[in-house]
Amino acid sequence: MMEYLGYIAIGAGATVGLTAAAFVIGIALAVPVEWVRRTAPPFVRGLVNAAIDVIRAVPNLVWLFLVFFGMPQFGIVLGPWPTAIIVLGMYSTACIAEILRGGIAAIGQGQWEAANALGLRQFDRARFVVAPQVLRVTIPVLATFAISLLKESALASTIGVLEITYRAGYATQRTGDGLTMFLVAGVIYLLLSLPLAFASRRVDGRLRARFSLG
Amino acid sequence: MQFGDLVAVDDVSLTVDRGEVVAIIGPSGAGKSSFLRCLNLLETPTRGRIRVGDFTLQIDAGQPAPKAREVHRLRSHFGMVFQGFNLFPHLTALENISLAQRRVLGRPQDESDSRSRELLERVGLAEKALSYPGHCSGGQQQRIAIARALALEPAVMLFDEPTSALDPEIGLEVLQVMRELADEGVTMVVVTHELAFARDVSDRIVVMVSGAILEEGPPAQLLRHPQHARTRKFLSAVLDR
Ligand SMILES: Nc1ncnc2c1ncn2[C@@H]1O[C@H](COP(=O)(O)OP(=O)(O)OP(=O)(O)O)[C@@H](O)[C@H]1O
Ligand SMILES: [Mg+2]
Repeated sequence: MMEYLGYIAIGAGATVGLTAAAFVIGIALAVPVEWVRRTAPPFVRGLVNAAIDVIRAVPNLVWLFLVFFGMPQFGIVLGPWPTAIIVLGMYSTACIAEILRGGIAAIGQGQWEAANALGLRQFDRARFVVAPQVLRVTIPVLATFAISLLKESALASTIGVLEITYRAGYATQRTGDGLTMFLVAGVIYLLLSLPLAFASRRVDGRLRARFSLG
Repeated sequence: MQFGDLVAVDDVSLTVDRGEVVAIIGPSGAGKSSFLRCLNLLETPTRGRIRVGDFTLQIDAGQPAPKAREVHRLRSHFGMVFQGFNLFPHLTALENISLAQRRVLGRPQDESDSRSRELLERVGLAEKALSYPGHCSGGQQQRIAIARALALEPAVMLFDEPTSALDPEIGLEVLQVMRELADEGVTMVVVTHELAFARDVSDRIVVMVSGAILEEGPPAQLLRHPQHARTRKFLSAVLDR
């Protein structure tokens, strides 16, 4: 019995690893995606919007199966890990791009005008005026998204990534005690997301004390 | 200059001498802000010519918008102060004033910071260097915004109702700073409803109505003997408040 608790707990490494990888990909790609969306001609902007909508409209479970079971028909065979990272990474990119868009929209017109009147170039305006304020307003939303991504990563169990949920399922098959095994899994998810929520509130509160947005 | 079909500024021409202070007054919706914002291309005029010193930018109807380089060069000649201050809330007063010095003029940090401190002293806010705008009063914020605009050593300072968002008493401290700038010979174009300021500080008052200049002249003459009934009506409305 106890051996299975350890067996499930070890899955936390894979869960956190997958979530972190997808989140980092999301941030790294969403920033240039949002830049393109704001600067490119309308046609390109439309394409980006369409891609974001498609990624978000189709359930991640379907994406996982499409990539994992569908791509081999084109001769592209990806293992469970690459599949999960690609699918959740794309999903993060789409969601974080939308979060950034909301954050940018929250910045007052006067901020852009002041930056323009000072003669700041487009990149400097983004880097020194817009980005810090977007970060400030989006920290709580990004943290909420990270927590939902943590839960979303459980889907990877269906294609054989040995994370928490997969292991709880396997342990249930071996012991027949699904209640205990999935309770353990639930508690581990809880323990993983609590620090995220806590850290987000702390950072948010600290920034809020320093400045409020104009 | 148009918003869609609405012509906000129609064929306005204004020449300002170096060191001159011009006050623009007029009823709401007259196009005062729009005109001011055309000067540094915050709004893009349909057509027109902007000349500062020996730099000229010509905009023709139907031609592509001016290149970013040209726009930046033009803007470097103007400093702008907004009704709503528009300080960067995530930066301290000092950082607000230093940012463009470093990124636009390429000044090294120590040089830009010491220049910023001088400017803060000049607007009477030396002690606020490390404060965030959110921790400053409206009047203080506006004085920081003036220092920020001055830091780039513009040829002309543009003010769009700099005291309208402040209570009258607080507005005085901003007007006092502007008086000092005028005395120091800073060229200024000021959109304002403060007739006392226009009378005492400006060299010329321009009255805008319906997107055009209705009349202009030295303050004493214009305020005492306005030529147009529309001007008289506007002046008495402002004075009656
Ligand atoms: N962003 C905008 N979009 C559409 N119309 C606008 C916009 N800004 C101003 N206008 C219109 O252009 C005209 C001139 O406006 P402007 O703000 O320049 O007037 P103003 O003289 O500065 O008035 P106020 O004293 O109220 O500031 C008005 O009819 C106004 O409604
Ligand atoms: Mg106005």
